Amino acid sequence: MTHTLPSAPLVRARVARAADVVVPQWPLESFIAINPLAAAEAGRFEDAARSAPGVALTRAVGDYVDDFRAQRISDASLRSALLERVPELRAIASQALGSSGISALDVIVAELTRLPAAPDARRDGSPAQSRLDEVMAHWLAAYLDPEPLWPMPGHRLGFFGAWRLMVRHDSRLPRWARRALARIPETPDGALAESLENLAIDDDQIEGALRAELAHLPGWVGHVKWRADHVGDIDLTSYLAVRLATRVALGPTEQSPDELHATVPRDDPFERAAALVKSLELEADPNSVARVLMLHPTDQHAFTWQRAAELEYSRGLIARLGRDDVDESQRPISQVVLCIDPRSEGLRRQLERSPGIDTFGFAGFFAVPMRYTTADGRGSVDSLPALLSPRHAVTEVSVDARDGELRASRLRLRDAVAGGIHRGEAVSAAGFALAETSGWFMGLASLARTFAPSATARLARSVGRVPEAPAVLTVDRAFSLEERTLIAEAAVRMMGMTRFASLVVFGGHASSTTNNLFQSALDCGACGGNPGSPNARAAASIFNDSAVRLGLAAHGIEIPADTWFVAAEHNTVTDRLAVLDQHLVPGSHRDALADFELRSAAASDRLVRERASALPGATARTRLSRVRERADDWAEVYPEWGLAGNAAMIIGPRTLTQGLDLGRRVFLHSYEAACDPDSDGLETILTAPLVVAQWINHQYYFSALNPDTLGAGTKTLHNAIGGIGVLQGQSGDLMRGLPWQSVGLGTALVHEPLRLSVIVEAPRDRIAAIVSRNQVLRSLFENDWISLTARDDRAGEWHRYGHYGWIEIALSEIRTPETTMTTTGERS
Amino acid sequence: MNGLTKMTKVEIVVAGRDAPPVRELITAAGATGYTSVSGVSGIGHDGQHSGALLFNEYDTLTMVITVLPPEKASALIESVRVLLDGRSGVMFVADTFVSRPDYFG
Repeated sequence: MTHTLPSAPLVRARVARAADVVVPQWPLESFIAINPLAAAEAGRFEDAARSAPGVALTRAVGDYVDDFRAQRISDASLRSALLERVPELRAIASQALGSSGISALDVIVAELTRLPAAPDARRDGSPAQSRLDEVMAHWLAAYLDPEPLWPMPGHRLGFFGAWRLMVRHDSRLPRWARRALARIPETPDGALAESLENLAIDDDQIEGALRAELAHLPGWVGHVKWRADHVGDIDLTSYLAVRLATRVALGPTEQSPDELHATVPRDDPFERAAALVKSLELEADPNSVARVLMLHPTDQHAFTWQRAAELEYSRGLIARLGRDDVDESQRPISQVVLCIDPRSEGLRRQLERSPGIDTFGFAGFFAVPMRYTTADGRGSVDSLPALLSPRHAVTEVSVDARDGELRASRLRLRDAVAGGIHRGEAVSAAGFALAETSGWFMGLASLARTFAPSATARLARSVGRVPEAPAVLTVDRAFSLEERTLIAEAAVRMMGMTRFASLVVFGGHASSTTNNLFQSALDCGACGGNPGSPNARAAASIFNDSAVRLGLAAHGIEIPADTWFVAAEHNTVTDRLAVLDQHLVPGSHRDALADFELRSAAASDRLVRERASALPGATARTRLSRVRERADDWAEVYPEWGLAGNAAMIIGPRTLTQGLDLGRRVFLHSYEAACDPDSDGLETILTAPLVVAQWINHQYYFSALNPDTLGAGTKTLHNAIGGIGVLQGQSGDLMRGLPWQSVGLGTALVHEPLRLSVIVEAPRDRIAAIVSRNQVLRSLFENDWISLTARDDRAGEWHRYGHYGWIEIALSEIRTPETTMTTTGERS
Repeated sequence: MNGLTKMTKVEIVVAGRDAPPVRELITAAGATGYTSVSGVSGIGHDGQHSGALLFNEYDTLTMVITVLPPEKASALIESVRVLLDGRSGVMFVADTFVSRPDYFG
């Protein structure tokens, strides 16, 4: 009987199923924050560790107990968390046990707070790297490095083809293995099928076996998955074909590393009860106490504490939210629309200290999803949320073609010089000559950059200065009039803008840092990890278009004739708000714009002063110029704190949060239910900006809890692979997530890991209907990845969305919060 | 039938994030093309599914439609069945007729 290998589609179906647990990893040059455990979102949060062995889902129990003793978590929050997580407790919570008068709820609280914490069931460390992992990491780096010293021969054949061509020369493999590899099938599907047969893996075991292979080198594997969808020159079938063929060729000595085994702490409720009765000297039947403790097994303790920490924060936040109506008695002098990014909260608050400035929060791509190409001809970027595919190509075009050409040619010359030096440093033959001829200058330049970064940057900018060439964007060619009108209408309705000042500013944001591989992680997440200013410019162009305004008027949105929209860029390191495209501003608005720039400069100074106290090496009294110098300092590993501390998202009118200092911890999306009768705007907010905010929140959450596995480790050991990612050291796996310097300082966490608390002011029946028809929201809210609290309107009471529908939050639950960023615990 | 050639039409409805593997299987089966419709709505085994979302293609349902010769269809059908086993998503298979069979491999 002849045995036939599975067909190519069947092999790929097995790979696709095994790859369900793999989360795509974007390249570093357009860093997209993503939940590293997104593949587990269809299940409960606390079950996520099943598909991600070795991952910490919470802090250690002892850390929470320390917070409780330091009153950072209150008794009320702990009790609320218990009643929420253990519904059976609600019926018996106040029931007294024995003659001591202690209630069932008291018993569980006492165990959590007064007995020594049970050891954590977390698994320590990550799988040891095998020789196979080392070989695979080398091949992947050789093939995927966009700036290799020596391009991999046969690169055009794709990963499998290039590897098959070159593997016979791989001296890391024994000669007999290389000989065996020379005989494998020509296609990756065929090679993988043959390897599975050689390894004698049964059909029903294939998926598990492939999944086990994909668990190694998770950083590279995640990047291959991303690249398969976005570039197409490598996919997981090719990767697995190479990996398994090499495993077969290396023979039985190449074993999989041992599985990590968790030490599951013993959970005997009778032992726990006896300890508790003895410790508290309770006059209660230990068996009755044990029956209560059974409701809350020890493996649930950390999750209850985590929820208590989140309730502590969100209850305090909700208690401060306003109930005022919007004051529409006076037309504002100017309106500023900024990204929902928590860093905008600080700028909005400071801007609003000037009378007559209103602010709004909106997704930072300003509803203009586009592939953007600069006039400089330096390539294009997808400036849109990762939830969308680019369909509209917008190009920057110089107003004066000669100016544009001159600028482009100077920039090309500058890039060529920089590129030449870079390559000269890397080529062994040229390195000595380069050092001989320019080493003295480079040495002096390095000293200057180190000891006077700001002055050096100013000097470099003036020497290499390339004159700006006024430009416009080809928005009207990329989007039809109908599409432009739809964009404008969607933005107005989603934000609930009912009136317009004579000057409206769209402020995108970007982070200006030097020598920072993770710069794009500080740029705008809604713009695909790119600066948001091109989208702000495109949005301003759309709103100033008279044809669009006519279309809006036909839909009941009247923008006054004297309203002008301008674009600006908020630099989140210096907090300066720079107005762009000034050549487009009509004379009638120049005075208003000059006045706005004065006031925004003052607001930015106040914000830098506010932020300085939280930055390492600075205080509230540090000179502003010194704080801003971080943007130019090539040795600064803490240019800004980015989105560290993010903990909540508020969707509603500004009256909810006006005047409150939210500590730059909250995503703020403007919304007014009265302007959105059919809920389309709310559905868009919940299914797009909210999802992006959740990705960011979970990226910070897991990078903080797992800095060396789901985070990128410390910046000081990073070794860049082109714009793809970083390694810790010379080789190995691609690091995932954020570096430690984004979430911690020294050995202490700065980012408090809290799952996102989403707070909405909108009719609850509409919210529930939207959640009900969107699987992504059902998964996130009903599986406890994030939480949802809402009230119908200003007069309504707050309700929490739970497994059994909406539950009103008792007033007694609400208390005054702590919102400042604090050190929360030691790195474990 | 009117000089038409018999083919097999395979329609697959999956979450947008699961559409790339489906397209990969179609290509691997030797189909020469497919049509992809994102943002389809409906009610099914897993409850209600919203239609097109303004700024999220990733979390809506996508329908991928392909037509290929019957002798190539069986491998695709078998692989899609494996892919969808135990997860959300549906596949419809039907005979269809085309006027230009060379377009479909």
